[in-house]
Amino acid sequence: MKDLKHLYYFENLLNDANNELVKQAQAEGGLAIGYTCFHMPEVLLNLGKCFSVRLRAPNMGSMEIATYYMSSGSCEYSRALLERAMEGNYKFLDAMAGIDVCEAMNRCMENMELLNIQGEDKKKFFWSNLDIPCSDDEDCVKHVVEQVSRKVLKPLHENYGVDISDSEIRKAVAEHNEVCRLITEIGNFRKLDNPTITGYEFHILTLATYVCPKYLIVDKLRETLEELKTREPDKKKNFRAKVVVVGSEIDDPELISLIEDSGALVVADRFCYGSFPGRQEIELNDDEDALTQVCRRYLRDTECPRQCAPHKVQYRYDRAEQLVKDFHADGIIYEQMKFCTYWSFERTLASHVLPEEYGIPALSIDRPYRSGMSGQLRTRIQAFVESLEIKKIKAKRAAKSQEVK
Amino acid sequence: MAYNPKTGKGLGNFYDANHRAFKRREWKGLKDTMYDYARWLKLYGFMAAKLGGHPILMIKALMRYRWMASYLTAANMVDRHTMGLRGKELRYTHEQFFSLMHYSVIKIRDIIVRDENLRPNSKKAAKLRANTIMFDEMTPSIIMAGFPTVDWIDIAMFTIGEPGEVDQIANMYYIDAVEHFGMAADVCPLPAAECGCAVVDDYPKVGCAYITSSMPCDGSIGQTTFMARYLKDIDIYQITPPQRFNEPEVQEYAVKNLEKCIKFIEDKFNVKWDWDAFWEGAKMYNETTQYMLNKWDVNCTPYPQVCGAALALQREYEFQEVACLDPYFLKTDKKVDKMMKKGYEQDKQNDENKPKYRAIVWACPAHYYTNFTYWSQHCWGVKCLVDMECMLSYHFFHIGDKKQAMIDMAKSYERMMMRSHTNGGYVNSLDECWKMCEKFDANIVVMYDHVSCKNVGGLHGLFEDQARERGIHLIWVPHDLMDPRTVSRKAMRDAFNKYMINVFREEPLDPTLVDYEDALTW
Repeated sequence: MKDLKHLYYFENLLNDANNELVKQAQAEGGLAIGYTCFHMPEVLLNLGKCFSVRLRAPNMGSMEIATYYMSSGSCEYSRALLERAMEGNYKFLDAMAGIDVCEAMNRCMENMELLNIQGEDKKKFFWSNLDIPCSDDEDCVKHVVEQVSRKVLKPLHENYGVDISDSEIRKAVAEHNEVCRLITEIGNFRKLDNPTITGYEFHILTLATYVCPKYLIVDKLRETLEELKTREPDKKKNFRAKVVVVGSEIDDPELISLIEDSGALVVADRFCYGSFPGRQEIELNDDEDALTQVCRRYLRDTECPRQCAPHKVQYRYDRAEQLVKDFHADGIIYEQMKFCTYWSFERTLASHVLPEEYGIPALSIDRPYRSGMSGQLRTRIQAFVESLEIKKIKAKRAAKSQEVK
Repeated sequence: MAYNPKTGKGLGNFYDANHRAFKRREWKGLKDTMYDYARWLKLYGFMAAKLGGHPILMIKALMRYRWMASYLTAANMVDRHTMGLRGKELRYTHEQFFSLMHYSVIKIRDIIVRDENLRPNSKKAAKLRANTIMFDEMTPSIIMAGFPTVDWIDIAMFTIGEPGEVDQIANMYYIDAVEHFGMAADVCPLPAAECGCAVVDDYPKVGCAYITSSMPCDGSIGQTTFMARYLKDIDIYQITPPQRFNEPEVQEYAVKNLEKCIKFIEDKFNVKWDWDAFWEGAKMYNETTQYMLNKWDVNCTPYPQVCGAALALQREYEFQEVACLDPYFLKTDKKVDKMMKKGYEQDKQNDENKPKYRAIVWACPAHYYTNFTYWSQHCWGVKCLVDMECMLSYHFFHIGDKKQAMIDMAKSYERMMMRSHTNGGYVNSLDECWKMCEKFDANIVVMYDHVSCKNVGGLHGLFEDQARERGIHLIWVPHDLMDPRTVSRKAMRDAFNKYMINVFREEPLDPTLVDYEDALTW
């Protein structure tokens, strides 16, 4: 396929957390609010002059100092962020909207806070640590509303004078939804028999929406969508199987690239920094305040295995099955960041439940933060692709023999 | 002091690298040896009296459940903890441990008489099950004080938690089972073993409903997904307490969550919450809590009395397995309190039994080496005055105030074992540690470095930095909670030995304890 016009531009934006668009927005008076997790309602970090930056540590090498602070058993994502923070890479932030959702990320934030990574001259800087319940009923929603109001909105208003009114939240949701709509429409090209966008390209675009001020990339996203409408796929398919990737944090496009180089086209991305559920539109009604609706949406739609109530576990299995159906995938890759406790449990169970109860082939892998060059991973994915092909051949033979009979 | 410099014989000589049991019983002088032996007989006598009435069920249980065999070595567990102790310290420890064993034996009996796996066709067992609720570990089982007509059993503690502390090899099979199932080996072995027990179907079926929770850590949350699947045929309620429990604002949600749990039990068993019964339970809770605080107060002085595992394990079980609702525990608390105060006065008057080194224990200890603190005491003279594990839930109930009592209950379980320090922000772990050093006048922290615990591990560097700033000796002792194959007991001792030899330039009080092999022992 012909290269997407803006792909190189978007790729370059992912090389540094403090990229050129972040700098531009701050130069225009914007406030950069860092966050790491879906449970922190992203849209509330985009009120008024604020813009959200979901933290990554691109091109991370050694994490020795962070390992000293957090031990080698903490997940590499959290260690990578701490290492990068100590290198001074997040000093551009004006606040850090953290959550107490997983141990590693909570400790990462606490280390950052105690080690003063924001610098000495940030008097208005604030840290938050939201308490998010492990279920999603209305008591939980009310609890989250209180947490967000007290720990994020209040300091945003008091420290920086940000307008946190209902109308401002609705405006932010509208802007957020536009980006979500674009990403969803772009993502729908992955449903085609011979998709006109690869998983790698899609992941680059999605990642950009997490780490850049949205108003500065929305034009290029629109242009990309138009471009895709007329983009011609290669005549011969470049993949041997289609897969849905489900799991923990992936902010490294090289991993998607590795999967696709191994013959499996990634047609759906249900992971932290993926488009499911992070790039689904937020629907608001006029009967209830926007803040409650936003909090309910994030609590209801999270697919993090931290939500351990039985109905949430079932919801995640059903969602995975639905993605396989909607995107015509042949199988699922369940992945986890090495040392991510939640996904260790979820991956283990799901890799039995999905094949045995839903009839969906699943590959179960754990991986380091940077895994784009992993030969072992490549071999395992290639073997999985082969097994999917064999299944297809067998299914065809079985269908033929049925016809003959 | 058990070491004899003339003969060179000490406590380390009792261990045999090729056998599970000790070579022989320790001679502690006539009076103490007779006392010790009498306690040994009392324990086995009590086990025989309570379980001997069900010989066939016991045999069935031993054939059906791997964990059940570990309970046969309970006396060895007591011996491990009382080795080298003399006089009043020996007596405190025996009393404390017997209350724990007393409750466990009774509950094991309760398990076998109602277990569906052992008695699938028994109507009597079915009737008992219909009136029993099963609990996960780390759940606010004190809630059952309000349901005096409903029985409850903590199935996680009796199958995994306690056997792992009685017998170091008890949990290995379950850990292997779940890793074979696909679980990453880096997760905490406690929830992993609990999941493994589900994978191999080794839980007793003793109730018709199950209460679980998201406590105390990420691993525990993951474990609930396995348990919910394993017990999918019965009704489950999951308690999801707030994380940032130091904030008063979170209690409203916590109380609602608890009230729903109460409603779940009411509906399931067709009973009503009984406030009068609850106040009785709350009074017991308050009393046991006060006795706990008394022990701390005495241990803050130069003449500490009830130390080490006798202090920590008793409270751990009293709170978690018993919910402070067992009259025998309370009776023991009263007795030990009286003995302790007398012992303190004695030591103070004679100015004796001052510890050579004063230490506190922080972070999660190894289940397979609960007598580590006795080893440090006998080998190096490092006495552990308090243990993070027993510093739980010292929040009192306001008797008579219904609204406040629910908040009290929420606060109580939010601060239960492990969770009281590892959740709710670094202040509960980091700042609290230094506060306790000051309170107990200790300049050594035996810092358990549970290699799979991401929660404490995430503060590793900050602990190091801040201990250096304060001039506190932080002795990291690595372990893997339930799996001695990762870090053996010997490796734990080696880490401690190195610090004492290289930093303190200390000579061991009992050189036979410096290097010996006990990988095979229970």
